[in-house]
Amino acid sequence: MVIKEIKIIGLGGIGSIFVNKLVRFINHCDSGGEALGWNVTLIDGDDYEVKNKQRQEFIFIKNKAVSKLEELNNLVAESIENAIPEFITESNVTEAVRENDTVFLCVDNHKTRKIISEHARTLNNVIIISGGNDYTDGNVQCFIREHGKSLTPSLTDYHPEILDPPDKLPTEMSCEELANSDPQLFFANLTAATIMCMFAYKLVTLPLNEVKICESYFDITSMAVNSVQRQPRC
Amino acid sequence: MATKKELMDKTNAELRQMCKNLGIVGMTKKRKEIIVKALLANQKANTDAKAAKASDQPATIAKPKAKPAEQAPLTSMAYQMQSTLSKPSAKVGDKCTTTLMVSCGANSGSFPVAGRKVGEVKGFLKEALNIPSFPDAVVNGKKVEDKYVLTEKDTLEFLKPAGRKG
Repeated sequence: MVIKEIKIIGLGGIGSIFVNKLVRFINHCDSGGEALGWNVTLIDGDDYEVKNKQRQEFIFIKNKAVSKLEELNNLVAESIENAIPEFITESNVTEAVRENDTVFLCVDNHKTRKIISEHARTLNNVIIISGGNDYTDGNVQCFIREHGKSLTPSLTDYHPEILDPPDKLPTEMSCEELANSDPQLFFANLTAATIMCMFAYKLVTLPLNEVKICESYFDITSMAVNSVQRQPRC
Repeated sequence: MATKKELMDKTNAELRQMCKNLGIVGMTKKRKEIIVKALLANQKANTDAKAAKASDQPATIAKPKAKPAEQAPLTSMAYQMQSTLSKPSAKVGDKCTTTLMVSCGANSGSFPVAGRKVGEVKGFLKEALNIPSFPDAVVNGKKVEDKYVLTEKDTLEFLKPAGRKG
């Protein structure tokens, strides 16, 4: 699988930081400043709100995907192609995630993670890197499918809480529910984004069948990061 | 190989120096008889190890008669399980590889839990690794039941739920 089409889904605390670093890397990667030639699509149905300024990086107060596209086009991004101002649902996931896509998933609910993961299982070639955090800890998962075979476990294989998510999609939530989000720590978002950058670097430097790590956990309070390998389930 | 009589003829200082050279700890304030006993046990262990190496068969380590003076709580478990002799020429205490990597989320460590059931280890390391109440266990990348008995070269992971926010 040749990495060419990048989808970044979710531009909150993790996504809004991660996308800036990834686009910088794509445009000026370490091999003499050469561009990687990846096309990036930003996807998020949410609007940026100033109340989140302590942990989300935006300049313009509008839809997050549109805002970030505008911001990055002014800076570096020849490779930013598209912004889709929509949340992912079961009805639009087939349009959003396609064969040969590499998806960086930075959403704030397990239900969206499940929709993406289940859809990815139906594709022959796809990469999903999914980051999430609680207040001071979190994890990043890496699901790779190549030639119709899962090289690493899906997002749900070892996570029953994603397989049977207790939460709702943003499209199913009331305005009150959307407004009452749990507090988050900027450093937890930043650590998840950094580990996603590590996975991006692995994808550039290693053949897919050598990216053995399927999940990395971090804990800010104990200052620990632990990466694990697991076998995909049939 | 020194006999018991030859060892008893040496001074305490000489015997303690021998212990130091052989890596036998905790003998600084022990009586001569005990030091000699420890040296003889060490000699016997080395002889057994050489014999095992010669026959190319994995050997088991007998419970040592000389108890180290400073013993961490987990070390006592090591004497109750089967351990293959991986480095016969190493110092006493370093001859076996018996610790396994156990992790839960970002927390991990090496623990002498070979021969133990996963369920036992879960209870034992619950606080040390901050293991959640009903975690699934994964050994060498595959999910296992609590009754699974850990063997050498196993890597045990207790699954931690994924972070939800982003």
